[in-house]
Amino acid sequence: MRIQILGTGITKFGELWSKSLLDLATDAALEAINDSRLSINQIDAVFVANMIYGKIANQDHLGALITSALGLKCASFRVEAACASGGLAVHLACQSLMAGTYKNVLVVGVEKMTDVGISEITSALMGAGSDMERKAGLTFPGLYALMAKAHMAKYGTTKKHLAAVSVKNHYHASMNEKAQFPFEITEEKALNSPEICSPFTLFDASPITDGAAAVILSSDLTSGSTNNVYITGSAVASDTVDLAARDSLLELRATKEASVKALKQAGVEIKDIDIAEVHDCFTIAEILAMEDLGFCKKGEGGDFIKKGITRLGGKMPVNTSGGLKACGHPVAATGLKQIIEIADQIRGRAGKRQAEGINCGLAHNVGGSGATVVVHIIQS
Amino acid sequence: MTKPAEIWREHKKLHSYLGKQGKLLVWTKILVAPVGFEHQTPYFVGIVILDGERMPVQIVDADEKQLKPNQKVEVVIRKIGKAKSEDVIEYGIKVKPI
Repeated sequence: MRIQILGTGITKFGELWSKSLLDLATDAALEAINDSRLSINQIDAVFVANMIYGKIANQDHLGALITSALGLKCASFRVEAACASGGLAVHLACQSLMAGTYKNVLVVGVEKMTDVGISEITSALMGAGSDMERKAGLTFPGLYALMAKAHMAKYGTTKKHLAAVSVKNHYHASMNEKAQFPFEITEEKALNSPEICSPFTLFDASPITDGAAAVILSSDLTSGSTNNVYITGSAVASDTVDLAARDSLLELRATKEASVKALKQAGVEIKDIDIAEVHDCFTIAEILAMEDLGFCKKGEGGDFIKKGITRLGGKMPVNTSGGLKACGHPVAATGLKQIIEIADQIRGRAGKRQAEGINCGLAHNVGGSGATVVVHIIQS
Repeated sequence: MTKPAEIWREHKKLHSYLGKQGKLLVWTKILVAPVGFEHQTPYFVGIVILDGERMPVQIVDADEKQLKPNQKVEVVIRKIGKAKSEDVIEYGIKVKPI
Protein backbone atom coordinates (compact mmCIF):
# COMPACT_ATOMS: atom_id res chain seq x y z
CA MET A 1 0.00 0.00 0.00
CA ARG A 2 1.05 3.60 -0.53
CA ILE A 3 -0.93 6.44 1.06
CA GLN A 4 0.61 9.90 1.06
CA ILE A 5 0.78 11.98 4.25
CA LEU A 6 0.09 15.36 2.67
CA GLY A 7 0.01 17.48 5.81
CA THR A 8 0.24 17.34 9.60
CA GLY A 9 -0.89 19.54 12.49
CA ILE A 10 -0.50 19.24 16.24
CA THR A 11 -1.42 21.39 19.24
CA LYS A 12 0.55 21.92 22.40
CA PHE A 13 0.00 18.94 24.74
CA GLY A 14 -0.75 19.70 28.40
CA GLU A 15 -3.29 21.17 30.82
CA LEU A 16 -4.91 23.55 28.35
CA TRP A 17 -7.71 25.08 30.41
CA SER A 18 -8.27 27.95 27.96
CA LYS A 19 -8.98 25.56 25.06
CA SER A 20 -12.17 23.56 24.45
CA LEU A 21 -12.34 20.20 22.66
CA LEU A 22 -13.51 22.00 19.51
CA ASP A 23 -10.71 24.60 19.76
CA LEU A 24 -8.11 21.83 19.96
CA ALA A 25 -9.60 19.75 17.12
CA THR A 26 -9.99 22.70 14.74
CA ASP A 27 -6.52 24.13 15.56
CA ALA A 28 -4.84 20.81 14.67
CA ALA A 29 -7.09 20.21 11.64
CA LEU A 30 -6.54 23.66 10.10
CA GLU A 31 -2.77 23.42 10.64
CA ALA A 32 -2.79 20.04 8.83
CA ILE A 33 -4.91 21.40 5.95
CA ASN A 34 -2.58 24.43 5.57
CA ASP A 35 0.45 22.15 5.62
CA SER A 36 -1.10 19.94 2.90
CA ARG A 37 -1.63 22.93 0.55
CA LEU A 38 -5.05 21.52 -0.31
CA SER A 39 -8.01 23.86 -0.12
CA ILE A 40 -10.42 22.83 2.62
CA ASN A 41 -13.10 21.91 0.06
CA GLN A 42 -10.85 19.19 -1.34
CA ILE A 43 -11.36 17.15 1.87
CA ASP A 44 -13.73 14.26 1.03
CA ALA A 45 -14.15 12.78 4.52
CA VAL A 46 -13.25 13.42 8.17
CA PHE A 47 -12.31 10.71 10.67
CA VAL A 48 -12.43 11.82 14.32
CA ALA A 49 -10.72 9.72 16.99
CA ASN A 50 -11.89 10.23 20.57
CA MET A 51 -12.30 7.98 23.58
CA ILE A 52 -13.80 9.67 26.64
CA TYR A 53 -15.43 13.00 25.82
CA GLY A 54 -18.92 11.46 25.65
CA LYS A 55 -18.46 10.03 29.11
CA ILE A 56 -17.05 13.09 30.90
CA ALA A 57 -18.77 15.92 28.99
CA ASN A 58 -21.95 14.20 27.70
CA GLN A 59 -21.12 15.23 24.14
CA ASP A 60 -21.15 12.51 21.49
CA HIS A 61 -21.62 12.73 17.72
CA LEU A 62 -18.11 14.15 17.36
CA GLY A 63 -17.73 13.27 13.66
CA ALA A 64 -20.39 15.74 12.54
CA LEU A 65 -19.59 18.18 15.35
CA ILE A 66 -15.97 18.69 14.29
CA THR A 67 -16.65 18.42 10.54
CA SER A 68 -19.31 21.14 10.70
CA ALA A 69 -17.10 23.32 12.92
CA LEU A 70 -14.61 23.31 10.02
CA GLY A 71 -17.39 24.46 7.67
CA LEU A 72 -17.47 21.09 5.89
CA LYS A 73 -20.48 19.00 4.87
CA CYS A 74 -18.61 15.85 3.77
CA ALA A 75 -18.80 12.33 5.25
CA SER A 76 -17.71 12.15 8.89
CA PHE A 77 -16.93 9.31 11.30
CA ARG A 78 -16.04 8.94 14.97
CA VAL A 79 -13.66 6.07 15.81
CA GLU A 80 -13.06 4.58 19.27
CA ALA A 81 -10.68 1.87 20.45
CA ALA A 82 -9.52 3.26 23.80
CA CYS A 83 -5.91 4.56 23.59
CA ALA A 84 -5.60 3.06 20.08
CA SER A 85 -8.41 5.25 18.71
CA GLY A 86 -5.99 7.48 16.79
CA GLY A 87 -4.09 4.66 15.10
CA LEU A 88 -7.35 2.88 14.30
CA ALA A 89 -8.82 6.03 12.70
CA VAL A 90 -5.72 6.29 10.46
CA HIS A 91 -6.11 2.60 9.55
CA LEU A 92 -9.77 3.08 8.58
CA ALA A 93 -8.94 6.24 6.64
CA CYS A 94 -6.28 4.30 4.69
CA GLN A 95 -8.83 1.56 3.90
CA SER A 96 -11.31 4.14 2.56
CA LEU A 97 -8.59 5.68 0.36
CA MET A 98 -7.44 2.29 -0.95
CA ALA A 99 -11.05 1.35 -1.71
CA GLY A 100 -11.27 4.50 -3.81
CA THR A 101 -14.27 5.86 -1.88
CA TYR A 102 -12.39 9.09 -1.03
CA LYS A 103 -9.29 10.79 -2.40
CA ASN A 104 -8.25 13.20 0.39
CA VAL A 105 -9.25 12.70 4.03
CA LEU A 106 -8.63 14.48 7.32
CA VAL A 107 -7.94 12.34 10.39
CA VAL A 108 -8.02 14.20 13.71
CA GLY A 109 -7.50 12.74 17.17
CA VAL A 110 -8.56 14.88 20.11
CA GLU A 111 -9.00 14.54 23.85
CA LYS A 112 -10.04 17.03 26.54
CA MET A 113 -9.22 15.30 29.83
CA THR A 114 -8.16 17.84 32.45
CA ASP A 115 -11.56 19.44 33.10
CA VAL A 116 -12.47 16.67 35.59
CA GLY A 117 -10.86 15.26 38.75
CA ILE A 118 -8.45 12.33 39.02
CA SER A 119 -10.97 9.71 40.28
CA GLU A 120 -13.44 10.62 37.54
CA ILE A 121 -10.83 10.38 34.77
CA THR A 122 -9.43 7.13 36.25
CA SER A 123 -12.97 5.67 36.14
CA ALA A 124 -13.62 6.97 32.62
CA LEU A 125 -10.39 5.38 31.35
CA MET A 126 -11.40 2.05 32.94
CA GLY A 127 -14.10 1.96 30.25
CA ALA A 128 -11.28 0.38 28.22
CA GLY A 129 -11.06 -2.52 30.69
CA SER A 130 -13.40 -5.41 31.49
CA ASP A 131 -16.33 -5.54 33.91
CA MET A 132 -14.42 -7.93 36.22
CA GLU A 133 -11.46 -5.54 36.26
CA ARG A 134 -13.71 -2.61 37.21
CA LYS A 135 -15.39 -4.60 39.99
CA ALA A 136 -11.93 -5.54 41.33
CA GLY A 137 -11.14 -1.83 41.70
CA LEU A 138 -8.42 -2.08 39.07
CA THR A 139 -7.04 0.96 37.26
CA PHE A 140 -4.88 1.20 34.14
CA PRO A 141 -1.75 1.82 36.22
CA GLY A 142 -2.84 -1.29 38.16
CA LEU A 143 -3.20 -3.47 35.06
CA TYR A 144 0.23 -2.50 33.72
CA ALA A 145 1.69 -2.87 37.23
CA LEU A 146 0.52 -6.53 37.16
CA MET A 147 2.35 -6.99 33.85
CA ALA A 148 5.45 -5.27 35.28
CA LYS A 149 5.45 -7.53 38.34
CA ALA A 150 5.12 -10.64 36.16
CA HIS A 151 8.01 -9.42 33.94
CA MET A 152 10.17 -8.62 36.98
CA ALA A 153 9.54 -12.05 38.50
CA LYS A 154 10.29 -13.95 35.28
CA TYR A 155 13.15 -11.95 33.72
CA GLY A 156 14.68 -9.99 36.59
CA THR A 157 13.60 -6.62 35.19
CA THR A 158 14.20 -3.95 37.83
CA LYS A 159 12.82 -0.56 38.83
CA LYS A 160 16.01 0.94 37.32
CA HIS A 161 15.08 -0.59 33.96
CA LEU A 162 11.66 1.06 34.26
CA ALA A 163 13.22 4.40 35.23
CA ALA A 164 15.53 4.25 32.16
CA VAL A 165 12.45 4.51 29.91
CA SER A 166 11.21 7.56 31.76
CA VAL A 167 14.63 9.30 31.85
CA LYS A 168 15.16 8.74 28.09
CA ASN A 169 11.69 9.94 27.10
CA HIS A 170 11.97 13.06 29.28
CA TYR A 171 15.34 13.79 27.59
CA HIS A 172 13.63 13.61 24.18
CA ALA A 173 10.70 15.76 25.37
CA SER A 174 13.14 18.43 26.57
CA MET A 175 13.71 19.14 22.86
CA ASN A 176 10.00 19.16 21.94
CA GLU A 177 8.19 22.46 22.55
CA LYS A 178 4.80 20.75 22.07
CA ALA A 179 5.49 18.31 24.94
CA GLN A 180 3.59 18.47 28.24
CA PHE A 181 6.82 17.94 30.23
CA PRO A 182 9.66 19.48 28.16
CA PHE A 183 12.36 18.89 30.78
CA GLU A 184 14.87 16.24 31.79
CA ILE A 185 14.68 14.12 34.93
CA THR A 186 17.28 12.02 36.74
CA GLU A 187 17.06 8.32 37.55
CA GLU A 188 17.05 9.28 41.21
CA LYS A 189 14.04 11.56 40.76
CA ALA A 190 12.11 8.83 38.91
CA LEU A 191 12.87 6.20 41.55
CA ASN A 192 12.08 8.45 44.52
CA SER A 193 8.81 9.97 43.27
CA PRO A 194 5.58 8.96 45.07
CA GLU A 195 4.27 5.43 44.52
CA ILE A 196 0.98 5.23 42.57
CA CYS A 197 0.63 1.44 42.54
CA SER A 198 3.41 -1.02 43.22
CA PRO A 199 5.95 -1.21 41.54
CA PHE A 200 5.14 2.08 39.76
CA THR A 201 6.02 5.56 40.94
CA LEU A 202 4.54 8.70 39.40
CA PHE A 203 7.31 8.76 36.78
CA ASP A 204 6.35 5.33 35.45
CA ALA A 205 2.99 6.67 34.24
CA SER A 206 1.95 8.82 31.31
CA PRO A 207 -0.03 11.90 32.40
CA ILE A 208 -3.59 13.15 31.88
CA THR A 209 -3.41 15.49 28.88
CA ASP A 210 -5.42 17.79 26.62
CA GLY A 211 -4.38 17.95 22.99
CA ALA A 212 -5.13 17.20 19.35
CA ALA A 213 -3.20 15.96 16.33
CA ALA A 214 -4.29 15.73 12.70
CA VAL A 215 -3.07 14.42 9.36
CA ILE A 216 -4.26 14.84 5.78
CA LEU A 217 -3.98 11.55 3.90
CA SER A 218 -4.28 11.19 0.15
CA SER A 219 -4.44 8.41 -2.42
CA ASP A 220 -3.28 10.94 -5.05
CA LEU A 221 0.46 10.29 -5.27
CA THR A 222 1.03 13.11 -7.80
CA SER A 223 0.15 15.94 -5.39
CA GLY A 224 2.34 17.23 -2.58
CA SER A 225 5.90 18.51 -2.48
CA THR A 226 9.22 16.87 -3.30
CA ASN A 227 9.65 15.92 0.36
CA ASN A 228 6.98 13.24 0.34
CA VAL A 229 6.26 10.68 3.03
CA TYR A 230 4.01 7.65 2.78
CA ILE A 231 2.17 5.12 4.91
CA THR A 232 3.23 1.79 3.43
CA GLY A 233 1.89 -0.59 6.07
CA SER A 234 -1.17 -0.43 8.34
CA ALA A 235 -2.39 -3.35 10.43
CA VAL A 236 -4.63 -4.01 13.44
CA ALA A 237 -4.88 -7.00 15.80
CA SER A 238 -7.15 -7.73 18.76
CA ASP A 239 -6.89 -9.69 22.01
CA THR A 240 -9.10 -10.20 25.07
CA VAL A 241 -10.12 -6.98 26.84
CA ASP A 242 -9.66 -8.80 30.16
CA LEU A 243 -5.91 -9.01 30.90
CA ALA A 244 -6.29 -12.11 33.11
CA ALA A 245 -7.94 -14.07 30.27
CA ARG A 246 -4.74 -14.06 28.17
CA ASP A 247 -2.32 -16.96 27.95
CA SER A 248 0.61 -14.79 29.01
CA LEU A 249 1.07 -11.61 31.03
CA LEU A 250 4.61 -11.29 29.67
CA GLU A 251 3.78 -10.10 26.17
CA LEU A 252 1.16 -8.28 24.10
CA ARG A 253 0.28 -10.88 21.50
CA ALA A 254 -1.60 -8.30 19.42
CA THR A 255 1.61 -6.24 19.08
CA LYS A 256 3.36 -9.22 17.49
CA GLU A 257 0.50 -9.93 15.10
CA ALA A 258 -0.09 -6.34 13.99
CA SER A 259 3.63 -5.65 13.44
CA VAL A 260 4.22 -8.81 11.41
CA LYS A 261 1.28 -7.89 9.15
CA ALA A 262 2.27 -4.23 8.78
CA LEU A 263 5.92 -5.04 7.99
CA LYS A 264 4.88 -7.63 5.40
CA GLN A 265 2.52 -5.14 3.79
CA ALA A 266 5.33 -2.56 3.55
CA GLY A 267 7.78 -5.16 2.27
CA VAL A 268 10.35 -4.35 4.97
CA GLU A 269 11.85 -6.20 7.94
CA ILE A 270 12.21 -5.09 11.54
CA LYS A 271 15.96 -4.50 10.98
CA ASP A 272 15.06 -1.91 8.30
CA ILE A 273 13.31 0.30 10.88
CA ASP A 274 15.36 3.45 11.60
CA ILE A 275 13.07 4.99 14.22
CA ALA A 276 9.98 4.04 16.22
CA GLU A 277 7.26 5.67 18.28
CA VAL A 278 5.90 3.05 20.68
CA HIS A 279 3.05 3.08 23.18
CA ASP A 280 4.76 3.83 26.54
CA CYS A 281 1.57 4.51 28.53
CA PHE A 282 3.59 3.00 31.41
CA THR A 283 7.32 2.35 31.41
CA ILE A 284 6.87 -1.44 31.29
CA ALA A 285 4.87 -1.00 28.07
CA GLU A 286 7.94 0.33 26.21
CA ILE A 287 10.00 -2.62 27.46
CA LEU A 288 7.28 -5.04 26.25
CA ALA A 289 7.05 -3.18 22.92
CA MET A 290 10.82 -3.54 22.26
CA GLU A 291 10.52 -7.29 22.81
CA ASP A 292 7.18 -7.93 21.09
CA LEU A 293 8.05 -5.84 18.02
CA GLY A 294 11.25 -7.89 17.72
CA PHE A 295 13.87 -5.19 18.33
CA CYS A 296 15.39 -7.40 21.06
CA LYS A 297 14.88 -10.86 22.60
CA LYS A 298 12.06 -11.60 25.07
CA GLY A 299 13.11 -10.61 28.56
CA GLU A 300 15.94 -8.32 27.41
CA GLY A 301 13.88 -5.16 26.81
CA GLY A 302 15.06 -3.45 30.00
CA ASP A 303 18.77 -3.89 29.23
CA PHE A 304 18.20 -2.97 25.56
CA ILE A 305 16.80 0.43 26.60
CA LYS A 306 19.29 0.99 29.42
CA LYS A 307 22.22 0.55 26.98
CA GLY A 308 21.12 3.72 25.14
CA ILE A 309 20.43 2.09 21.76
CA THR A 310 17.01 3.78 21.67
CA ARG A 311 18.17 7.19 22.93
CA LEU A 312 18.55 9.98 20.34
CA GLY A 313 22.05 9.49 18.91
CA GLY A 314 21.76 5.73 19.40
CA LYS A 315 21.30 3.17 16.63
CA MET A 316 17.50 3.19 16.66
CA PRO A 317 15.88 6.11 18.50
CA VAL A 318 12.52 5.33 20.14
CA ASN A 319 9.94 7.92 21.19
CA THR A 320 11.84 11.01 20.06
CA SER A 321 8.61 12.98 20.66
CA GLY A 322 9.03 12.24 24.37
CA GLY A 323 6.58 9.35 24.14
CA LEU A 324 3.33 9.19 26.03
CA LYS A 325 5.32 9.57 29.23
CA ALA A 326 6.76 13.03 28.65
CA CYS A 327 5.11 14.43 25.50
CA GLY A 328 1.78 13.63 27.14
CA HIS A 329 -1.10 11.27 26.39
CA PRO A 330 -4.28 12.90 25.09
CA VAL A 331 -5.61 9.39 24.56
CA ALA A 332 -7.08 9.46 21.03
CA ALA A 333 -4.55 12.03 19.75
CA THR A 334 -1.58 9.81 20.65
CA GLY A 335 -1.77 7.47 17.64
CA LEU A 336 -1.73 10.49 15.31
CA LYS A 337 1.07 12.23 17.19
CA GLN A 338 3.22 9.11 16.75
CA ILE A 339 2.70 9.12 12.97
CA ILE A 340 3.38 12.88 12.78
CA GLU A 341 6.64 12.49 14.74
CA ILE A 342 7.89 9.85 12.32
CA ALA A 343 6.77 11.87 9.28
CA ASP A 344 8.64 14.90 10.70
CA GLN A 345 11.78 12.83 11.31
CA ILE A 346 11.70 11.48 7.74
CA ARG A 347 11.11 14.96 6.31
CA GLY A 348 13.86 16.52 8.45
CA ARG A 349 11.38 18.75 10.29
CA ALA A 350 12.05 17.50 13.84
CA GLY A 351 14.13 20.50 14.92
CA LYS A 352 16.47 19.98 17.91
CA ARG A 353 15.54 16.32 18.19
CA GLN A 354 16.19 15.51 14.52
CA ALA A 355 17.77 12.06 14.07
CA GLU A 356 20.06 11.32 11.14
CA GLY A 357 19.45 9.09 8.13
CA ILE A 358 15.77 8.34 8.79
CA ASN A 359 13.94 6.67 5.89
CA CYS A 360 11.67 4.11 7.53
CA GLY A 361 9.74 4.35 10.80
CA LEU A 362 7.26 2.33 12.83
CA ALA A 363 4.34 3.63 14.94
CA HIS A 364 2.88 1.32 17.61
CA ASN A 365 -0.42 2.31 19.23
CA VAL A 366 -2.05 0.18 21.96
CA GLY A 367 -5.64 0.24 23.27
CA GLY A 368 -6.43 -0.83 26.83
CA SER A 369 -4.03 -3.36 28.30
CA GLY A 370 -3.29 -4.67 24.79
CA ALA A 371 -6.72 -5.65 23.42
CA THR A 372 -6.27 -3.47 20.32
CA VAL A 373 -2.90 -2.82 18.69
CA VAL A 374 -2.36 -0.77 15.54
CA VAL A 375 1.02 -0.67 13.77
CA HIS A 376 1.89 1.68 10.92
CA ILE A 377 5.01 1.71 8.74
CA ILE A 378 5.97 5.12 7.33
CA GLN A 379 8.59 5.60 4.61
CA SER A 380 10.16 8.31 2.48
CA MET B 1 -24.03 3.84 39.48
CA THR B 2 -24.59 0.09 38.97
CA LYS B 3 -28.16 -0.58 37.81
CA PRO B 4 -30.55 -2.79 39.87
CA ALA B 5 -31.23 -5.04 36.85
CA GLU B 6 -27.49 -5.55 36.31
CA ILE B 7 -26.92 -6.41 39.97
CA TRP B 8 -29.87 -8.87 39.92
CA ARG B 9 -28.43 -10.53 36.78
CA GLU B 10 -24.87 -10.76 38.13
CA HIS B 11 -25.83 -11.96 41.62
CA LYS B 12 -27.15 -15.23 40.21
CA LYS B 13 -23.57 -16.35 39.44
CA LEU B 14 -22.02 -15.34 42.75
CA HIS B 15 -22.87 -18.42 44.85
CA SER B 16 -20.94 -20.72 42.49
CA TYR B 17 -17.71 -19.02 43.57
CA LEU B 18 -18.35 -19.10 47.32
CA GLY B 19 -15.71 -20.88 49.38
CA LYS B 20 -13.63 -21.79 46.33
CA GLN B 21 -9.91 -21.93 46.88
CA GLY B 22 -7.20 -20.96 44.45
CA LYS B 23 -3.77 -19.42 44.25
CA LEU B 24 -2.36 -15.97 43.70
CA LEU B 25 -0.45 -15.34 40.47
CA VAL B 26 0.50 -11.65 40.69
CA TRP B 27 -0.72 -8.59 42.62
CA THR B 28 -0.36 -4.83 43.02
CA LYS B 29 -1.16 -2.21 45.65
CA ILE B 30 -3.47 0.55 44.33
CA LEU B 31 -2.95 4.04 45.76
CA VAL B 32 -4.92 6.09 43.18
CA ALA B 33 -8.42 4.63 42.90
CA PRO B 34 -11.42 4.99 40.59
CA VAL B 35 -14.71 6.56 41.77
CA GLY B 36 -16.28 4.44 44.54
CA PHE B 37 -12.97 2.91 45.67
CA GLU B 38 -11.20 6.04 46.95
CA HIS B 39 -12.04 5.30 50.60
CA GLN B 40 -10.30 1.91 50.44
CA THR B 41 -6.83 3.05 49.37
CA PRO B 42 -4.32 1.60 49.64
CA TYR B 43 -5.81 -1.75 48.61
CA PHE B 44 -4.52 -4.91 46.92
CA VAL B 45 -5.69 -6.33 43.59
CA GLY B 46 -4.37 -9.46 41.97
CA ILE B 47 -4.88 -12.10 39.34
CA VAL B 48 -5.81 -15.42 40.94
CA ILE B 49 -6.26 -18.90 39.49
CA LEU B 50 -9.57 -20.54 40.49
CA ASP B 51 -10.36 -23.95 38.95
CA GLY B 52 -7.81 -23.27 36.22
CA GLU B 53 -9.46 -19.95 35.35
CA ARG B 54 -7.52 -16.70 35.79
CA MET B 55 -9.44 -13.74 37.10
CA PRO B 56 -8.78 -10.23 38.40
CA VAL B 57 -9.99 -9.80 41.97
CA GLN B 58 -9.50 -7.60 45.02
CA ILE B 59 -7.53 -9.14 47.91
CA VAL B 60 -8.88 -8.42 51.41
CA ASP B 61 -7.94 -9.26 55.00
CA ALA B 62 -4.32 -9.44 53.86
CA ASP B 63 -0.99 -8.27 55.19
CA GLU B 64 1.41 -7.21 52.43
CA LYS B 65 3.93 -9.79 53.72
CA GLN B 66 1.44 -12.59 52.97
CA LEU B 67 1.29 -11.70 49.30
CA LYS B 68 3.64 -13.91 47.33
CA PRO B 69 3.32 -16.07 44.19
CA ASN B 70 1.24 -19.23 44.72
CA GLN B 71 -0.20 -17.91 48.02
CA LYS B 72 -3.40 -19.90 48.71
CA VAL B 73 -6.55 -17.79 48.71
CA GLU B 74 -10.25 -18.34 49.38
CA VAL B 75 -13.24 -16.57 47.79
CA VAL B 76 -15.34 -14.38 50.09
CA ILE B 77 -18.38 -12.18 49.45
CA ARG B 78 -17.83 -8.49 50.05
CA LYS B 79 -19.36 -5.13 49.23
CA ILE B 80 -18.01 -3.75 45.91
CA GLY B 81 -17.02 -0.10 46.06
CA LYS B 82 -19.05 2.50 47.92
CA ALA B 83 -22.68 2.99 46.94
CA LYS B 84 -24.18 6.51 47.06
CA SER B 85 -27.15 6.89 49.43
CA GLU B 86 -29.71 6.34 46.63
CA ASP B 87 -27.80 3.49 44.93
CA VAL B 88 -28.24 -0.25 45.31
CA ILE B 89 -25.44 -1.70 47.44
CA GLU B 90 -23.49 -4.11 45.27
CA TYR B 91 -21.88 -7.31 46.55
CA GLY B 92 -19.35 -9.40 44.70
CA ILE B 93 -16.41 -11.74 45.15
CA LYS B 94 -13.01 -10.95 46.60
CA VAL B 95 -10.33 -13.28 47.97
CA LYS B 96 -8.47 -13.54 51.25
CA PRO B 97 -5.21 -15.37 51.94
CA ILE B 98 -5.53 -18.64 53.89
